[in-house]
Amino acid sequence: MSASDNDRISYLSGEPVTSLTAQERAELDELRTLLETPAAWVQPDPGLEDLVVSAVAREAEAERASGVARGAEADRATAPHEAAPPVRRRFSLGALWRRRPVIALGGLATAAAAIVVALVIALNANSSKPLQFAMVVSGTPLAPAARGSGTLTKTESGWRVELKVTGLPHLANGRYYQAWLKNSAGILVPIGTFNDAQNVTLWSGAPVTQFRTFTVTRQLANGNPTSSGQRVLVGIAHPVH
Amino acid sequence: MQEREIRARFRQGDPDAVRSVYRSHGRLVYAVAYKVLGDRSLAEEATQQAFVKAWRAAQSFDENRELGPWLAAIARRVAIDVYRREAVRAADPLDSVPAGEPGLVSTPQSAEAAYDVWEVRQAVAQLPADEQEVVRLQHLEGFTHAQIAERLGVAVGTVKSRSFRAHKRLTTLLGHLRE
Repeated sequence: MSASDNDRISYLSGEPVTSLTAQERAELDELRTLLETPAAWVQPDPGLEDLVVSAVAREAEAERASGVARGAEADRATAPHEAAPPVRRRFSLGALWRRRPVIALGGLATAAAAIVVALVIALNANSSKPLQFAMVVSGTPLAPAARGSGTLTKTESGWRVELKVTGLPHLANGRYYQAWLKNSAGILVPIGTFNDAQNVTLWSGAPVTQFRTFTVTRQLANGNPTSSGQRVLVGIAHPVH
Repeated sequence: MQEREIRARFRQGDPDAVRSVYRSHGRLVYAVAYKVLGDRSLAEEATQQAFVKAWRAAQSFDENRELGPWLAAIARRVAIDVYRREAVRAADPLDSVPAGEPGLVSTPQSAEAAYDVWEVRQAVAQLPADEQEVVRLQHLEGFTHAQIAERLGVAVGTVKSRSFRAHKRLTTLLGHLRE
């Protein structure tokens, strides 16, 4: 190894080095920048493994239920496009006006009315549809049999979180479950406590659009309201389109 | 399961193989998604979607190829899609947005470096744990050698030698990124 290589390594490892040219430093600084990027070091939440496995299992289940194999879909995707539908004969509006002015006027009025009705229906449908998120929840190693789903709906009062979970044992005698929502900065917001997760409704005052990671911990009624850290259930809320 | 067997079972669409693939490549997929999105929750969402897409496309995967780069490409595409969706969701009405607004750019600039992050992460993973920790503390936390020594409870000389060995290895593994 040449002295220059040693100098490069020393520079990267943070030693004071004066022998490198500006260009050499710039090149090494690019590598330093990459090593400094949080993405090179960030670790996913331990619960993500179960979420990934659950997501694929759900996909496999949907495939079995539909009876359409992935191969068939792949074949469709790679197959030549279907023949284009027959081209419809185009009518000249001007000619129609000249030949059938009354019919043309009536037709236009009907079409315009239909468009207006469709627009009104569409606008009403959009305005009445609440903002909603959904999630699949999976048990952690503390509750490996637990699984279920949830819907999170925005209301005037806050976000209503409806949770349906199986495989989570009933807790009583001072032990209970606590549900939380977490944002990307790791801030936890408590959204309710319960004993049985089969059919629970929780409420969040924090916006699910920002607090999208859902967790449930096992707690003990000992006067300490903070998270026990004993997570039994995790999920990530996704917007429903 | 051996790597080749995992690849074959994943290719056949075996959901059980998904867990094995996640354990071997999940952190790398997540890193790529995080680099593009810069948000833990969105990166987790993109990671889930990437694995579902990979599983759905597994039958077209050539089992003689490495899974890693293939998954990285899927993760990057999915993350860009999530980024675009979030950009639309967060946007003001288009009329009120200046033409030069960065949010109108359809692809995040960080997506370009996603593969570099993937390579860095793979290279760092090949270092011994004690050298990884020194590199992490130095570059991510910004600690000096003396601070690292104090943190780890070892001599400064030990930190310097670990750091030198680690960076020597990294320059070999990542030298092509500078070319």
